Amino acid sequence: MNPVNYVYLAALLFTIGAAGVLIRRNAIVVFMCVELMLNACNLAFVTFARMHGGLDGQIVAFFTMVVAAAEVVVGLAIIVSVFRTRHSASVDDANLMKL
Amino acid sequence: MNSYVPILVLGVLAAGFAVVTVVSAALTGPKRYNRAKLDPYECGIEASPQPAGGGRFPIKYYLTAMLFIVFDIEIVFLYPWAVSFDALGVFGLVEMLLFIATVFVAYAYVWRRGGLEWD
Amino acid sequence: MSATAVAAPAVHSLWTTAAAAPIHAPKIEYAQLSPILVVLGAAVAGILVEAFVPRRARYGTQLAVTLIGLAGAFAAVVGLAATGYATTKADLAAMGSIAVDGPSLFLQGTLILVTAVGVLAIAERGLEPQSREVPHVDAFAPQAAAVPGSEDEKAAARAGWSTTEVFPLTLFALSGMLVFPAAGDLLTLFIGLEILSLPLYLMCALARRRRLLSQESAVKYFLLGAFASAFFLFGTALLYGYAGTLDLGGIAKVVTGDAAPNAALNASAHGDALLLIGGAMIVMGLLFKVGAVPFHAWTPDVYQGAPTPITGFMAAATKVAAFGALLRLLYVALPEMRWDWRPVMWGVAILTMALGAIVAVTQTDVKRMLAYSSIAHAGFLLTGVIAGNKQGVSAVLFYLAAYSFVTLGAFAVVTLVRDAGGEATHLSRWDGLGRRSPLVAVTFALFLLAFAGIPLTSGFSGKFAVFSAAAKGGAVPLVVVGVLCSAVAAFFYVRVIVRMFFAEPRADGPSVAVPSALTGTAIAVGAAATLVLGVFPQWAFDLADKASVFIR
Repeated sequence: MNPVNYVYLAALLFTIGAAGVLIRRNAIVVFMCVELMLNACNLAFVTFARMHGGLDGQIVAFFTMVVAAAEVVVGLAIIVSVFRTRHSASVDDANLMKL
Repeated sequence: MNSYVPILVLGVLAAGFAVVTVVSAALTGPKRYNRAKLDPYECGIEASPQPAGGGRFPIKYYLTAMLFIVFDIEIVFLYPWAVSFDALGVFGLVEMLLFIATVFVAYAYVWRRGGLEWD
Repeated sequence: MSATAVAAPAVHSLWTTAAAAPIHAPKIEYAQLSPILVVLGAAVAGILVEAFVPRRARYGTQLAVTLIGLAGAFAAVVGLAATGYATTKADLAAMGSIAVDGPSLFLQGTLILVTAVGVLAIAERGLEPQSREVPHVDAFAPQAAAVPGSEDEKAAARAGWSTTEVFPLTLFALSGMLVFPAAGDLLTLFIGLEILSLPLYLMCALARRRRLLSQESAVKYFLLGAFASAFFLFGTALLYGYAGTLDLGGIAKVVTGDAAPNAALNASAHGDALLLIGGAMIVMGLLFKVGAVPFHAWTPDVYQGAPTPITGFMAAATKVAAFGALLRLLYVALPEMRWDWRPVMWGVAILTMALGAIVAVTQTDVKRMLAYSSIAHAGFLLTGVIAGNKQGVSAVLFYLAAYSFVTLGAFAVVTLVRDAGGEATHLSRWDGLGRRSPLVAVTFALFLLAFAGIPLTSGFSGKFAVFSAAAKGGAVPLVVVGVLCSAVAAFFYVRVIVRMFFAEPRADGPSVAVPSALTGTAIAVGAAATLVLGVFPQWAFDLADKASVFIR
């Protein structure tokens, strides 16, 4: 199978994630969509690594996984603390600073 | 057939480790039985946290999940190192020890600040 | 096995040869990485302090560890620069991941100094109302995990707890910022971006007063920041796909045609599309961090919600680091693409300057006003980036150093003007401040004049350098727009000054807290840097000029 198809798949996943970030209202779901985007990047990296016959892309994928994990922890900590305050994780409710 | 011997040895070692730890825990650990401990599948917390009295709900699951993610994912770096352990030699060993030491600093923080206490 | 090997296309054999190549242990030049390593070491020590030092002694220990770490890191930067790493011995350290060259060392030195001043403001404990039981109260939540207004929070406040974790978090953010402008490949760039961002997200959520605003700003910053870094990462993937290497220099070689991209790839994918889309997405990620216009939406909310000392640190240091990375990416990896990126950056710069200056006029909150002013300044800095010559690089370096100290000073002054509800950030509350606290008002006026770019302040020297470099680089229309926007911006800065000195003081107006030596020093250093770089800018220009050559 032509590895380029995986690049297309990665682009598709990335777009779905980006659309989700823009459309969804729940902070947790928005955040999951960001994770989907990061995983799409991973797929692209691994595919390109194979196409180029190098290992760099695979190494980047490892680092991306770790960064994504750290991001999950920081993000969940912030979102949970907001949820405990307001009992809502909707990004529309975060509007104290609107002019 | 010869090439499968290491796998066999590894299997024996793994099983041996499991048996030794379980047996030694049973021999050396304190034994305080109570009814709740004997109940099946009981972890003491409601499966889906309900807001109780003032809208509070336990965030211990989140905490545990976060700690798990942070410490679990470090294995990602250990794995490639283990694969090319020969080639990297002492340099790789020292760097990896430094890396693990840094992870242990985070662990020490979590432990001292009560992140590992369930209640 | 053999059947698949026969059927597999050419790429498969490439893969197997790469895997069979022997792996050598990498060479790490620890001495050249020492500024970053010292800061990281101090941060790790700070975590250990949090874990093992009793609560009462933590503040003092943390402050000492932080300042010693910063002093060590600055000494390391100066040492490297003095031994010629900024000019003749410039080098790619750690297998090409970290560039130790003029721009790196200049920006690292600036960042460390900025952080040292920022830490002084962060460490202030004398402004909040105090009691006999709790003699020291800082600007951060007593217990960040406690729900605002809950019994837990009140108990923590009564016990005099505080989030001393901000010190190691600041150091971790700084270590990311030190890596960011020095990154020699795209992976290091991404890691630097994340290490600088993640602690900042947390620090935004730590305010003692107005915790809902603070938490909200953290959520916004986090979600938008993660979104932007996902774009950055996908851009990295596409550029890697195009060039087959993550090295900035290697990518430049592929762009110029000195090194061929993978033939099998070019036959199947559209190489130029990968380059253009990938480059655009990476630049998008960096422009987000910079706060340039289509990606600026987070800036006012985050600047307003975050604890003010953190806002000052973030506004000053993030801008330095992100502009350093933007310069390196555009000048080292994509210089041959400048006919593609310059028109886009023209548009971004014009929009940024105009929107920042015009929207700032309508602001009523002083922190929001400073946020929009920082957007406008991002636009001015972009004109220097667009210049595309060595003079442009040195002008941007100088501007960053000048601007960051003004910003730190301005936000430090904002922490002083307080009423019963904490900081009085509404502009109407600042009426007549000059009559009651002339010294504070005059200092703030100095910072505002520097923002506006009035001669004899560092803001003027910076703007002059950036605009003349842009004019020399053939961007005269951009300079005209920049000067017009500066005039609009000067209007709202002067309006604040007029309010402070010529409006009637309000009877229920805010009081000005007397700062301890910490904030006092921070403001004094900011004001001194503003004046020195405004009156005697030549030595700093020379330094920036010497430091303006990127290693490739």
